[in-house]
Amino acid sequence: MSSEEMKSKLKSFFMSDLGVDGDVLQFDTPLFGEEIGLDSVDSLEIISFVDSNFGVSMTGVAKENFQSIDTIAAYIEAHKA
Amino acid sequence: MTPDERRCVVTGLGVICAVGNNVEETWKSALESVSGIHKTTSVDTVNCYADLAAEVKCDTLDNLDAPEEKDRVSKLCIKAANEALADAGLSNFGDDQRVSVVIGSCVGGVLSIEQYHQHGRDASEIAKMPIAAIASQVAESCGAGGIVTNVANACAAGTISIAVACDLIRAGKADVVIAGGADSFAAVPYSGFLSLHALDENGCSPFNRCNGITLGEGAGIVIVESYEHAQKRSAKQYCEVLGSGVTSDANHITAPREDGVCLMEAINRAVKNSGIDKSDIGYVNAHGTGTGKNDNAEITAFKNFFGEDNASVSVSSTKVMTGHCLGAAGAIEAVFSIKALTTDTVLPTFPYSEEQSAALKEKVGSLDFVQNKARHKELKCVLSNNVAFGGTNAAIVFSKVPGEVSAQSAKAKKIAVTGLGIVSPLGNSKAAYLEAVKADKKPESASVHSTIALDDYKELGIKMAFYRKLDNLGQLQTVSGMRALQDANLQVTDDNAKDIGIIVGTSEGGLGATYDFEELIAREGNSQGSAFKFPHTVYNAAGGYLSICSGIKGYGVTITTGPLSGLDSIGYSMNVIHDGQEQAMMATGTDENLPIITEFAQKLGVAATDVVAPFADNEGCVVGDGSVSIMLEEEGYAKARGAKVYCYALGFGHGRKNVKFGKLVGSDEALDKAIADALADAGISASEIDAVCGFANGCKRIDDIEKGALKRVFGEKLASMPLFEVKERTGEGRAGSAALAAAEAALLLSGELAGDNAYFVAADGSVASKKADAANLKKILVISFAAGGSYSAVVFGK
Repeated sequence: MSSEEMKSKLKSFFMSDLGVDGDVLQFDTPLFGEEIGLDSVDSLEIISFVDSNFGVSMTGVAKENFQSIDTIAAYIEAHKA
Repeated sequence: MTPDERRCVVTGLGVICAVGNNVEETWKSALESVSGIHKTTSVDTVNCYADLAAEVKCDTLDNLDAPEEKDRVSKLCIKAANEALADAGLSNFGDDQRVSVVIGSCVGGVLSIEQYHQHGRDASEIAKMPIAAIASQVAESCGAGGIVTNVANACAAGTISIAVACDLIRAGKADVVIAGGADSFAAVPYSGFLSLHALDENGCSPFNRCNGITLGEGAGIVIVESYEHAQKRSAKQYCEVLGSGVTSDANHITAPREDGVCLMEAINRAVKNSGIDKSDIGYVNAHGTGTGKNDNAEITAFKNFFGEDNASVSVSSTKVMTGHCLGAAGAIEAVFSIKALTTDTVLPTFPYSEEQSAALKEKVGSLDFVQNKARHKELKCVLSNNVAFGGTNAAIVFSKVPGEVSAQSAKAKKIAVTGLGIVSPLGNSKAAYLEAVKADKKPESASVHSTIALDDYKELGIKMAFYRKLDNLGQLQTVSGMRALQDANLQVTDDNAKDIGIIVGTSEGGLGATYDFEELIAREGNSQGSAFKFPHTVYNAAGGYLSICSGIKGYGVTITTGPLSGLDSIGYSMNVIHDGQEQAMMATGTDENLPIITEFAQKLGVAATDVVAPFADNEGCVVGDGSVSIMLEEEGYAKARGAKVYCYALGFGHGRKNVKFGKLVGSDEALDKAIADALADAGISASEIDAVCGFANGCKRIDDIEKGALKRVFGEKLASMPLFEVKERTGEGRAGSAALAAAEAALLLSGELAGDNAYFVAADGSVASKKADAANLKKILVISFAAGGSYSAVVFGK
C-alpha cells in the first residue's frame, strides 16, 4: 500500500467511524485541535483501527505521533513488519 | 425538624449480588471481606485482556410468574423486590395508586437484545429489551398502581431512583415506593468497557491500584415509605432518607471532571437539603469504581467538601465485593449504607498491603479510608454517592435522625412554559412545525424519521468537534434542547448553570444504539467493541450531550417508562421546581426511529403498512420519532429576565392498572385516574378543560382507550371538545410525540398556532375531523400512555 493510499484509508476511517467532516480534514490537519477535537476515547479507536488494518501497535506511543494523518502514517510506515 | 408529612423512612431491604442472594448473606460477606470477583463464565473472553466479573450465582431466579416473558434483569430485580417487600411486611397492593415503583438501570434487557440478534429474531424477545420493562414488571408482580418509572442515568441510576422515590412521597404523590436498581452482566457492557480499556485485568482495586473496574451484576431494593404511613401500620423502620443532590458535569460523555466540582455540588446539595452538618456524616459509601479518573476526582471532592469540618470521615468502596453493578450499584450500595448505619459499622475496601496503605495515606491525608476489615463506628448519618456516564453525579443521605429536610419550598410558585424546541419528521424547529401544521402535512410513508442537517448545527453554533460525536438520538436531543434554550432566549452562564436542570423522557432511549453495538461485537468478537460507540448505549447519553453542549449543570435525569415519559419529564420537572431544587427545567421527550425500531414495531404487529390517521381503526400506526424540549421556569425567575410566557403548567397526574408489559388492553380505567389526578393537582374540574392533546395514533386498541376514558371523564361535552392529535403528522414518536402534544397545547394557548385540525368524538363513538380555532382555549389537557398499563396527564393553561 502506498503512503497516499494509507492516508486515504485513515481519512475514510476518521470520516466513517469518528464522525469527522471530510471537507475540513486534510492530511496535515491537527486532529486534537479545536476544529476536529479528538480526545482520549478517539485515540483508543485510532489505536484499534491501526492495529487491525496495518498490524502496527500504537498502544502507549507518544502523543506527537497522533497529531495528524501524516504523523500516524509516518509511524505506521516506520514500524511496519 | 423535618415535619412528619415530609419524612421518608426505609422499611424494607432486598439485595442480590455476587456475594449473596439476599441481605443476610450479602451483609455477612461484607463483614468478612469476601470478594465476588471471579473468572467470568457467561461471556466469550477470546482475545480479551480482562476476563473477571462478579456474577450472581442463583438457581431460583426463574421461580416467578411467566419467567419466559422476563429478561434476567427483571428477574434479579423482582427477587430483590420480593425480599424487600417481605422484610417490610408488605405484599400484593391490588393496583393501589399510592404505591409506586422507581427502578434504575443502565443496560436493561441487553441479554434479550443479544438473544434476539443471535437466535432467530424472535418477536417475544422485544418486550424484554427496554429498561422500561423492569419497573413495570416489578409493579405487575406486586400490584403497585401508582407512578411506575425507571431512571436510566447509567451508574448513578440506583441512587437517583431512591431520591426520586422521596421526591414523590414528599410531593404527596405516593405513600410507599419500591425503589432501587438492577442490571445484569452481559457481553455489551463487558466489550464496551474493554474497548475503553477501563477493565482491570487483576480485579478492581478502588483507591489503590486504580487500574480499572470489574463489572458485576445484581439488584438492590429499598422500600421507601412516608413516615406517617409506616407509623400507621406500625412498620419496622431502619432509618430516615434525608436529602439528595443530583448534578451534571457538562464536561465529557464518559470521563468525570478531574476537579470533582460538580460531584462536590451534588454532595453539598444532599447535605444542605438534609438540613444536617457536614460533621454529621460518619461514613461515605463512595462510588469508588477503581479507575484512576473516578477515584482521584472523588478524593478531590471529599477533601474539598469535608475540609476541616469533618477531616476524618470514614470512606470506602464496596465494589471490590460486588463488582461495578452499573445501574444497580447505587441501590446495592444504599443497602450497604443502611446496614452500616443501623449496625454502626464501617465497611472496608480491600486488599491493601502495608505499603499500599502508606501510599493511600499520602494521597488522602486525614480522610479515614477503611481498609481490609469492617469495624465498629458510632454513626448518625451516612452518605452514598455515585457518578455516571453522561456526567451525572448523585448523592443521598441516610440518617438515624429526621434532619431538617427542605422540600416543596416553592410549591406555591407558578410554573411558566417559556421555550419550545421541536425536532420531528416535519423539520427541526418550531417554525418548521408551525409551517407543517399550516400546510396540513401528513406522514409520507408508514415509517418516518427526523433528519438533522449541518444547517441545524450551523444555526445553533454547534461545532463539528462536538456534533461528530453524537449518535442519532443525541443529535435529535441536542438540537431540540438547544432550540428550546434559543426560543426561551435563555443564556446559560457560569452564574445560572446550576439553577437549570434537564429531565429527558424516552421510551426506548439507547436501545437502537445497543442493538448496533451488539451487532458489531457478535460479528467481530467481544475484543473488538467500539469505544466511540459504546457511550451511546446508555440511555442518558442524549441528555449528557445536551448538558455538555448547553453548559447546564443542575439536576440531570433521564427517565424511561414508555411514550408517557415525554409527559412525565414535565411532571417531574414541575416537582423539581416546586421543591426549590432548580429555577428552570428543560423537560424533553425523545425517541428515534432507526430501521431496527421499525423492525421491532413490525414484528410486534403495531406498524401499519400504509399511512393511517388517528381513529382510523387500524391494526397498527405510522412509526415515527422526534425530540421536543420544553423550557419550564418558576414564574418569578422567568419574568425577572423578561421571558415570553406561552402558558402555565398547572397540574400533573398519573394512573396505573397493571397489565403485562408490552400490553395496554384492560388498563383503560387508569387513564381516567390519571386525568382526575392531574385535574386535582391543577385544582380545577373537568368542565374547565377546553380541549385535549391526545395520544391517538390510528391503532384501534390504543385509540379506543383514549375515546373511552374521555367519554367517561367529559360525558356529553366530549362531542364538542376538540381533540388535537399530533401523531397525524409525525407518526407514533413515543416520548417525542407525548412532549410534542404538550408543545402543541402551549402553541395553541399562546396563539402561535391559531388553530389545527381536530377530532370530535360523537355520542355513538364515531369520529369526525375539522379545523378548530385556538382563540377560546384557556385550559388544555395533555395525555399519554405506556405499555404495562400506565397513563400520565398534564394540564396547561393560559
